[in-house]
Amino acid sequence: MAGCGKAHLRGSTALLSVEDLVVEFPAGRRTTIHAVSGISFDVLEGETLGVVGESGCGKSATARAIMQLPPPNSGSVIFDGEQMTQLSKENLRRSRTRMQMIFQDPISSLNPRRKVNEIVAEGLSIWHTDSDDIAIRRVHAMLEAVGLDPKAVENRRPHQFSSGQCQRICIARAMILDPKLIICDEPVSALDVSVQAQILNLLTNMKKRYGLTLVFIAHDLAVVKNVSDRVVVMYLGKICEVADPDRLYTHAAHPYTDILLASVPKPDPHMPIPKLQITGELPSPINPPSGCRFRTRCTKAQDVCAVQEPSLQKISSNHFVACHFPNETSTHVAI
Amino acid sequence: MQAKQPLLKVEDLRTYFGTPTGILKAVDGVSFSLNKGETIGIVGESGSGKSVLVRSIMNILSSNAIIAETSKVHFNGKDISRLRHCEAKHFWGTQMAMIFQDPMTSLNPVKKIGTQITESIRFHLKASKKEAIQKALELMGQVGIPEPRKRLKQYPHQLSGGMRQRITIAIALACNPKLLIADEPTTALDVTVQKQILDLLASLQEKLEMAMILITHDLGVVAGRTQRIGVMYAGKMLETADTKTLFRNMNHPYTEALFKSIPRIENQAHSRLEAISGYPPDMTRALLGCRFAPRCRYAQDQCLNEEPNLFETDQADHQQACFFPVGSPENKQAHAVNQKTGITAAGLALTAAVRS
Ligand SMILES: Nc1ncnc2c1ncn2[C@@H]1O[C@H](COP(=O)(O)OP(=O)(O)O)[C@@H](O)[C@H]1O
Ligand SMILES: Nc1ncnc2c1ncn2[C@@H]1O[C@H](COP(=O)(O)OP(=O)(O)O)[C@@H](O)[C@H]1O
Ligand code: SF4
Ligand SMILES: [Mg+2]
Ligand SMILES: [Mg+2]
Repeated sequence: MAGCGKAHLRGSTALLSVEDLVVEFPAGRRTTIHAVSGISFDVLEGETLGVVGESGCGKSATARAIMQLPPPNSGSVIFDGEQMTQLSKENLRRSRTRMQMIFQDPISSLNPRRKVNEIVAEGLSIWHTDSDDIAIRRVHAMLEAVGLDPKAVENRRPHQFSSGQCQRICIARAMILDPKLIICDEPVSALDVSVQAQILNLLTNMKKRYGLTLVFIAHDLAVVKNVSDRVVVMYLGKICEVADPDRLYTHAAHPYTDILLASVPKPDPHMPIPKLQITGELPSPINPPSGCRFRTRCTKAQDVCAVQEPSLQKISSNHFVACHFPNETSTHVAI
Repeated sequence: MQAKQPLLKVEDLRTYFGTPTGILKAVDGVSFSLNKGETIGIVGESGSGKSVLVRSIMNILSSNAIIAETSKVHFNGKDISRLRHCEAKHFWGTQMAMIFQDPMTSLNPVKKIGTQITESIRFHLKASKKEAIQKALELMGQVGIPEPRKRLKQYPHQLSGGMRQRITIAIALACNPKLLIADEPTTALDVTVQKQILDLLASLQEKLEMAMILITHDLGVVAGRTQRIGVMYAGKMLETADTKTLFRNMNHPYTEALFKSIPRIENQAHSRLEAISGYPPDMTRALLGCRFAPRCRYAQDQCLNEEPNLFETDQADHQQACFFPVGSPENKQAHAVNQKTGITAAGLALTAAVRS
């Protein structure tokens, strides 16, 4: 398989380092869904890596492969110096407490029959040998940290809470294990905007307070920009562009990033609506286009795009693009 | 504009539901009007009553719904709130049509696309089968469906979400309705597909001179795609104005707070978001005073005891329902009082209101 470039990797200093990750699913009649096709990225300690891309581009499959739920078809996932893909079951379980996940649908990711304090303590009673008393105190402290009143909520069940409150409970459940890395898979996509800001601010606070590292997956470009230190743009199982958020959003180099950004409706009635519109339909991941996977919808595509897969190239400090004809980004910094 | 009869006039619409835990006032006194060819955007968070509002206008409510006797819905001058079901049925499609967030709400999963489009054409236009197919192909071309002939024989699950939404738009437009109600038509779609669908709706609307009620919770969508906005919260319209006026002058504290809480793509990474504290109220409880008071940073005693109605503002055609509208001297005063004590009359700590 053609490589997708690793110019953007930062070496052994990374807390999480993913290389050549491949995730495939059987699709019947001996066909295969190419969900994630050889992507590489890394996350430094204390960093928030944002991952954007439209539904089906492989964001969740990537997240689950990092957690080894299930393990990827191939590729390497090094977390905190350990090769996750080669851990024994027992060691994997231990590693997973240091790597937690938060999901889009907070209500359904909580056990409806359990009380809030049991849900939050769930990981504790399995992994630690704390006495009950200490465990309860930790649960209370964590509920408070996520903005819930422990006495008022501990004995209630998930259905008595709004989705925003349930997401707070999920965050408490993840945080109580004192993880180093949290993978947030669309954590605010199901929430109303007024509550979304509460949860985004909470995640930012928790990150500072506990020195967390985050992988933040979302399809909302403004949300990803707001929380990220570095952003990865995905399309159909591949990475198109990696950059610092402020740079990415002002100097997008990949034609797909351009279209994504032009599609975001701006909350200002005086802003003209850009003419730029994506054409055609998303190709099937069972039979993805040769060469550049975006070529079937790209206005800049030339013959080479069908033959040769573009790999991620550095175009300025902290800005990488996988395209044969990237946009001239006006403030091109000499490398 | 003034003297003309509006296409749609909704007066004091109240739609209540009988539920096991009591009467739920889903829409509680909403009025607005809409001119021919105009687009009004209805924004508000989930549960604020947006869908019930338009379902009441369409007359497609569930059987536990009660519309108050005093509520009126006039369409082209005719009161349509008390049409019998069979009369209403002909009204749908020919006068007004609706599309939903989930296209599968209106598509039948086990019927071919072609059958579904032609059925509606044959019902309303009394067309022959052949004419109906011709019309269906024409409509599918109009809404940008590639290879329409092939699609006629396909089932909904064989199409992408964006294509399915195009099909429901084609069905909705079959009889040139004068009003299209779009209830979160793009909420489930990706942002690039959303843009395609919104561009499509805008071009069709211009071509067909069709008015539209566009429901969304995305302030970006209303900003670019509507002429008027109504902001709903807990069953009430809290503010309504011309879109440009509203974005220039957000008078209601809820509108202001909603706007400030959204992350914006133009802002720098890591800009602090001003979240709104708390959650919307339980609508089966009796709500005294202003419904936003528990979450409002300006709330005073008056807000807890007295319900504000829609007041005129000093801009033409702009109403808002707050005793202490943003930008007014009363608001400055209220703000100063709350700042001093650090807590609002409803007990909201102001530090919390600003942070998380
Ligand atoms: N368990 C599965 N079985 C089969 N296909 C799957 C499975 N999970 C994901 N896929 C497919 O893999 C691709 C990537 O999916 P996903 O990672 O969920 O995308 P995203 O999270 O970016 O929306 C999609 O085409 C999806 O249909
Ligand atoms: N058929 C029904 N029976 C009882 N309650 C309902 C029914 N339909 C809607 N509601 C309630 O009415 C309120 C408004 O709902 P809705 O109009 O769907 O909100 P929105 O569209 O703004 O998200 C909600 O509290 C909802 O639970
Ligand atoms: S590589 Fe070619 S097809 Fe792919 S984005 Fe660049 S120009 Fe377009
Ligand atoms: Mg996903
Ligand atoms: Mg709704």
